[in-house]
Order: sequence, then C-alpha cells, then structure tokens
Amino acid sequence: MRPRVFLVDDHGLILAGLRAELADHVEIVGAADEVAAAAEMILERRPDVVLLDVHMPGGGGEAVLREVLVDAPDVRFLALSVSDAAEDVIAVVRAGARGYVTKSISAPELLEAILRVADGDAVFSPRLAGFVLDAFASEGHLGEAEVDPELNQLTPRERQVLRLIARGYAYRDVATELAISIKTVESHVSSVLRKLQLSSRYELTHWAVERRLT
Amino acid sequence: MRDFCAMSATTPPRAEIGVPHRPLRRGADNALLGGVCGGLAIRLGVSERAVRVVTCVVALLWGVGLLAYFALWLTLPRTGEDRSIAGRLLGGRNRLRRVAVAVAAGALVLLVLHPFSEALLGPLSWAFLLAALALIVVWRGATAEERQRLEELGRHTPFLRSRAESTRTWALVRIFVGLVLVLLGVRLAALVSRRVDGGAPAAIFGTAFVLAGVVVLLAPWWLSLVHDLSDERRSRVRVEERAKLAAHLHDSVLQTLTLIERSADDPGQVTRLARTQERELRQWLFGPVATSRVATLAGALDALVGEIEGDYGVRVELVVVGEATLSEALTDLVAAGREAAINAARWSGAERVSVYAEVEPDKASLFVRDRGRGFDPATVPEDRHGLAVSIRERLAARGGTATVRSAPGEGTEVALEVALA
Repeated sequence: MRPRVFLVDDHGLILAGLRAELADHVEIVGAADEVAAAAEMILERRPDVVLLDVHMPGGGGEAVLREVLVDAPDVRFLALSVSDAAEDVIAVVRAGARGYVTKSISAPELLEAILRVADGDAVFSPRLAGFVLDAFASEGHLGEAEVDPELNQLTPRERQVLRLIARGYAYRDVATELAISIKTVESHVSSVLRKLQLSSRYELTHWAVERRLT
Repeated sequence: MRDFCAMSATTPPRAEIGVPHRPLRRGADNALLGGVCGGLAIRLGVSERAVRVVTCVVALLWGVGLLAYFALWLTLPRTGEDRSIAGRLLGGRNRLRRVAVAVAAGALVLLVLHPFSEALLGPLSWAFLLAALALIVVWRGATAEERQRLEELGRHTPFLRSRAESTRTWALVRIFVGLVLVLLGVRLAALVSRRVDGGAPAAIFGTAFVLAGVVVLLAPWWLSLVHDLSDERRSRVRVEERAKLAAHLHDSVLQTLTLIERSADDPGQVTRLARTQERELRQWLFGPVATSRVATLAGALDALVGEIEGDYGVRVELVVVGEATLSEALTDLVAAGREAAINAARWSGAERVSVYAEVEPDKASLFVRDRGRGFDPATVPEDRHGLAVSIRERLAARGGTATVRSAPGEGTEVALEVALA
C-alpha cells in the first residue's frame, strides 16, 4: 500500500521537485507552503507521513509539529532540511519528528526513509546518529528530576548501532554487521529516538546550542 | 526651571546678536521655552546664555525671575507676530468684559489659596503656582505655531508625557501624584528644619517622599529613553548584519555563479563549483562560529572534505563525534584518512563517501566508507600495496592500526585508529 504523504516547504521549487520525485511511489495528498495552512490541511487530510521543512517563516517546522501533534498524535513527521546545525536537528526531533534527513539525500534514499517512517520506525541519518552519540557521550551529569534514568543512557548495543549508522551503514548493513535482524536494528533506533525525545538530560539542549559557540 | 536653565546647554541656531535698536520681541528661532531670554539677548546685544543664567539666578530669589519671565511671555509679541498673548486674549470686541473676568478669576485664586500660604506655600511656591497659571493662559492665547512648538517641547520634557503612556489622563494623574509626593516630602523636611523635635523619622520620610515623587515623575521618560536606545541599537545591528551578509554573498556566491556561467559547457566543473560553494555557504550559515584559530580534528577534517569535494566532485558526508585539538597523532590520523578518502573518491565509483571520526578518552578513530565497486584485498596490485603499507606503518608508530575491509560489489571501508596520550 502506498503511503499518503503531505509536503510542507516554503520554497515552491522544492515542492515541485519533491512531487516529481515521489509521485510515482507514494500518494501525495497535498502540499502547503506556510505554517498555519500546513497545520490546518494536515489535520483535515490525516496523511501517513508529513515531509516537513525545518526553516519556514512563522515558527518553522517546529510550529507545525506542535500544532498537529496535540490533536493528531498518529501523524508521522520526517524533517527535511538544508541545515545540518545541531540545534535545528535536535529541536525538531524533540518536538516529535520521527526522523531527520537533509535535502541532499538521493531520491531512492528519501523514498526509503518515507516508507520507514510510515511503518512507525525512526530514520537516523549519519549526521543525526553522530549528534546523538555526541550528546549522550558524557556519562553522569544527569538531569535533576530523574524520572527514568534509563532514558538518559544509551545501551552499549544502541551505541554500536548508532556508530555504524554514523559510519554510513544502511540499516541492513548494520544488521549484517552485528548479526541481528533488520527489525532489531529498527527497534534499537526507535528506542534511541524515544530517549532523544523524552530524555531529561539537560545536555541535549545545551549541547546543541553550545556546539555552535565553541 | 529646567526648561530655561539647564537646557541652555543645547543652544539653538543663533539669532542675530548684538544688533541694537530693535523692538523688544520674544525670539522665535532662538527660543528654548517662550523665547523671552532670546528676545532680551537680541535687544540688549549680549549673549543668550548670559541672559538665561541671570534669569535662572533671579528666579531663585523668591521666584521673582520666574514671575518676570512669565509676565514678559504674556505681554511681548513673538518675532513675526504683531500682538502679544495677553493682547490676543484680551483684545477683540468684549475687551472690558474679558479683563474683568481675568481680574476676578485671579482674585478668586488668590483668595482661595491665601489660607494655605502660611502653612504650605512659601514665596517660591507662590511663584511656581502663578507661573503654572500663567502657562495655562499662555497656552490659551498662543498661536497655532507656538502651540506646536510647545507641544514638541513637552514631548521631549522628562515628566510631561512619554510614549509608554497611552492617554493624557494617565500622564496627568501620574504628574499630580508625583508632585503631591514631592511637595509632602519638602514640607516634612521643612518641618524638621524648623522644629528639631520632629526628629529623624520625619526627615527620612521626607526624603523618601521626594524620591518616590521624582521616580513617579521620571520613570516613564527614563523607560522610553532606554527603549529608544535599544531600538536604535537594534536597528544599527540589523543594518550592520545586512551589510556583512551582502559582502559575504558578493564575495562567495555571486563570484561562483559567474564562474559557473563561464564554464557552462563543462558539467564536471559546474558540479565541482556548485558543491564547493554549497559547502562553503552551509559552513557559513550553519557551522560553528569560528572564534579561535586553534586547529582541531573537526576543523582539519572539514578542510579535508572541502578539498576532496572540490577536487573529485564526490559528496563527502562528514560526522564527527567528540573533539580534540590537533596533536601529532591526530595529524597523522587525518593524513591517513586523506589517502583513504582520495582512494575512495578516485576508484570506488561511488557518488558519496562517508567519513566518521570519533574521539574517545584513550583513542581516536576514523572510518572512511564508500559503497562503490569494492575490491578483493587479496588481489591488490603491487603498486597500490605501498600506500596501505605506508599508512599502516605510520599509524603503528603512534600505537594505532589501519584495517581495510572490502569485497567486490560491496564497497570499501578503511578503519583507522590512533592512541591518544
């Protein structure tokens, strides 16, 4: 079954390009070029996956995420951006995006990422994997009100998976390398995503901001 | 008082001074408040500032100067006008009746205020009171032009009205409250000075009242001043940012676009130019703010990626975890990584090369991976062995390793590692 995809980007050229590349493989149910219209149309059409531009006037992708996820937590978002800045990546993922890819991604890879998000899995680009490893690198220094310490540490296995992704391994390569199934890889990545979104590690935000300043 | 004393520091455009035998008029273009001092200065042929200083000093003598000032304000015509304010108010058909009303009103005010004169009003306060009444009369009789001038003045005067206040009523209420506080404070202080038994508390209260009054009077003005300043600073910063942005775009993007136009018939060159420019712009937009010139691993790798993308037209995806300043061991690591990345760019046929570096407390690792055609490490020709060997030996000297994993059709990954002291 072809996933129903909604496009959000404030650049008409990008929208046209995405449509052309994806139209044969997914069902594009609509597109919007500004925050308010996007939120409204997404809530009305309930797509499976929203391809979301991070930088837009009026709050950007983060604003769309916040508006939609309150009423429709089942809509899945894949962030798509030219920015590789840590603060942008961390911000949209913390706001609820299930993955982050840059606009330089090739069409087949983008399609794969969309299908993966549609299936409820997380999509980690090498860059995002690197960010997570960096942000979760320091031991200790946990947030103050510790509800669930599990959320603030990566397991050794998750670290392994992320390292391989950062090295440019596709999910199936990771599975082969670690002699586990792709499903297991996916569940590790989803678990990391959950930690990334729910962790109270104060470093996550601080780290992302400071990364630009050092 | 401030209006015609302190403000003389900012001298308006000079009028003709020292030209005698002119009729006494209030100054129009050298006026601070009513133009009385300016007019006198022109008539007497002395400097405006001297007249103003004298006026201020005399004003302090029981308010004599103040009253004289307002009397002249009311009775002297302004330069370029043929009638004085008093003349305008009292002139016309019902002159007699108007004079009668003015005298009656004045008498009434004096009568009502008389009982307070002992307890509350000293001579200076009387002068201020009369000056305030005179100011109202001035306003009533002023020409549109002069009113506009006074309004302008009011807008710049500390406690009259500020941008923060939306309505005139609020401004009036605030001024009233402020003045009452100041007056109460002055009275308390005066009581203390007269009868010592009031003691310290009264003095403290008096001072507190005066301070509170001053704060109430001046706070909005101060706030709006601060606001103006930060507004101004913000817009200046914005302009500077824009200029910086324009300069940068001109030096980089526009230049590259010109180059691309010129090499339109060479697709390879166009791709390289576009890649290099994209990289550079991305670094500028989203990259870390370069504050120090200290060479770091990430910095060195960044330069390496730029070089390879520029020279070979492949896309290099760089991920760095952790960071360290460039030691000799790390320099060797980067040099080895460079060989590996160039090999990948040159031979693999892949469009993209992934470079991953991680710094751990005891070691640093670098992985260069492509998903190109790959090869069988057992069948590498002799002449390409040398490279691998040299890399390996160099890293081994640093307590590191170099491993190449590849298979035909599977791509290649070179894993490099050095120990960190």
